[in-house]
Amino acid sequence: MSRAARTIRVETLARVEGEGALHINLIGERVADVKLRIYEPPRFFEAFLRGRHFSEVADITARICGICPIAYQMSAIHAVERALGLRIDPAVRMLRRLFYCGEWIESHALHVYMLHAPDFLGYQDAIAMAKDHPEVAQRALRLKKIGNKLVSLMGGREIHPISAAVGGFYKTPRPEQLQELVEELKWAVDASIATVKFTAGLEFPDFEQDYEFVALRHPDEYPFNEGRLVSNRGLDIDAAEYEDTFLELHVKHSNALHSVVRGRGSYLVGPMARFNLNYSTLSPSAKQVAADVKLKPPVRNPFRSIIVRAVELVFACEEALRIIKEYEPPAEPRVEAPNRAGVGQAITEAPRGILYHRYAIDEKGLIVTAKIVPPTSQNQKRIEDDLREYAGRLAAWPLDEATWKCEQAIRNYDPCISCATHFLKLTVERDDEVQK
Amino acid sequence: MKTQIIGCGNRNRMDDAAGALVAERLRRMGIAAEIQDGGAFELIASWERQEHVILIDAVVTGSPGGTIHVWEGTPPRLPRTQQISSHGFGLAEALRLGKALHCLPEHITVYGIEGGEFGVGDNISPEVLAAVTRVADLIAAELRSQDLPPAETDIVQLSGH
Repeated sequence: MSRAARTIRVETLARVEGEGALHINLIGERVADVKLRIYEPPRFFEAFLRGRHFSEVADITARICGICPIAYQMSAIHAVERALGLRIDPAVRMLRRLFYCGEWIESHALHVYMLHAPDFLGYQDAIAMAKDHPEVAQRALRLKKIGNKLVSLMGGREIHPISAAVGGFYKTPRPEQLQELVEELKWAVDASIATVKFTAGLEFPDFEQDYEFVALRHPDEYPFNEGRLVSNRGLDIDAAEYEDTFLELHVKHSNALHSVVRGRGSYLVGPMARFNLNYSTLSPSAKQVAADVKLKPPVRNPFRSIIVRAVELVFACEEALRIIKEYEPPAEPRVEAPNRAGVGQAITEAPRGILYHRYAIDEKGLIVTAKIVPPTSQNQKRIEDDLREYAGRLAAWPLDEATWKCEQAIRNYDPCISCATHFLKLTVERDDEVQK
Repeated sequence: MKTQIIGCGNRNRMDDAAGALVAERLRRMGIAAEIQDGGAFELIASWERQEHVILIDAVVTGSPGGTIHVWEGTPPRLPRTQQISSHGFGLAEALRLGKALHCLPEHITVYGIEGGEFGVGDNISPEVLAAVTRVADLIAAELRSQDLPPAETDIVQLSGH
């Protein structure tokens, strides 16, 4: 084979998307300043959406995130359906839950094993971990693959799913297609239970915080697509009241807006919040294994979120099996969605926490305004607050170890910039330097 | 020898699309090629039990835009990367992880196309587009040299129902 010019010096294999940096200013053991910088452009999409027909919103917003496209599709579709006043077939509703199970399995397996576990086991990355613990990596790969299969079947293709639509799905699976996943999902329940036990055996820093946990709550179901937004400090609202309750603040150092509860401050979204607020609706195996490893709400140590994520993995696999078992295809894949002017808001539970969408639609069905608040921006201030408490304890540590610990603390939140936080640029200014 | 072709890339990140564009061009030539976003897990899953895999991806090495790099071996010895895929696990990591887990194909060829611009959008640098054509031709020629009619290559199509 002929070859063109070559070089052996690769500094970077391409795929540049999202970047995070952390700046911590320490004076003695006092943390004077913490800045987590994120470059994520969801606002870009909000402007993009204006003037587009509501039927395009799910496919456009799915492109915001390669890890959680389904969350974007679900929040978008529910918000549009609400604006249009549509009622959805209960069978479609269950399929949407199944779709979400696939995304949680993919995302949680990736984060628990490949992004977060190496921190606890003292490896620089998952590949180094895989050399010593091949069985752990194999389990992760197989779990992730099951999530991919489910998403691929429901979404029409593996990346950038295209089947979800306002009113339902463009195409719904046949029962026998779902049946093909059953054996693998049964394995996945057991593998997830093993994952909970594996994570519970890790060592955790003694670090608890007094969080305001915010998550959806549904009377009968562990939340995906529906429910009221609640917190452990008395919040109990409909999605329509979201913007009256939460405030987005622009901070100079980040492209992502900081979210706060009006009059209170930072809050936490994601697995720990869901677990603490919805423990009673977890599936039987998920509850059992949580009890086995003595994980009870309220969990307030963010490092232990890795166990909670594993418990949610058990839930997602078991819930997928339940839905497949009870599945009867809807009479029609989707209900008609006629043009109508209106405003709709929706919140769904992305793997890393609540995702808020609002759309105003005109009488021709075109988007007038769009608003999207992703979970990572909601957690951003809370991550800084954690670091403000945590970094002071690391003041005497060598810089590289302190850096690693801070990165681990950020990864507790599974931010959608996990890629970037793996290469976190940490600047620690110490008091002697500050005085210079 | 069975050959699987996987082009990695994001069509919305300018020159990053190079690998996907090569795969599309090969498809137009009647050669089956898969398109992936370059996630390590997905790569490992799709090359399971393959004999020969050809991977195409955009790279940044400091060479002029459009430079074509070729690495071969089991696995190819790619120089260490500093910055990798959007989710932390890209092609280079797939190779390293595959090696650690003993699940690599028997033979791997990696084509790297030097990219210049990775912003948001679908504009591709002219020199990268030229390299895309060149790499597709190289791969087609390689398949011909194996005396295998392209249509008989054993390719798994992942996208679409």
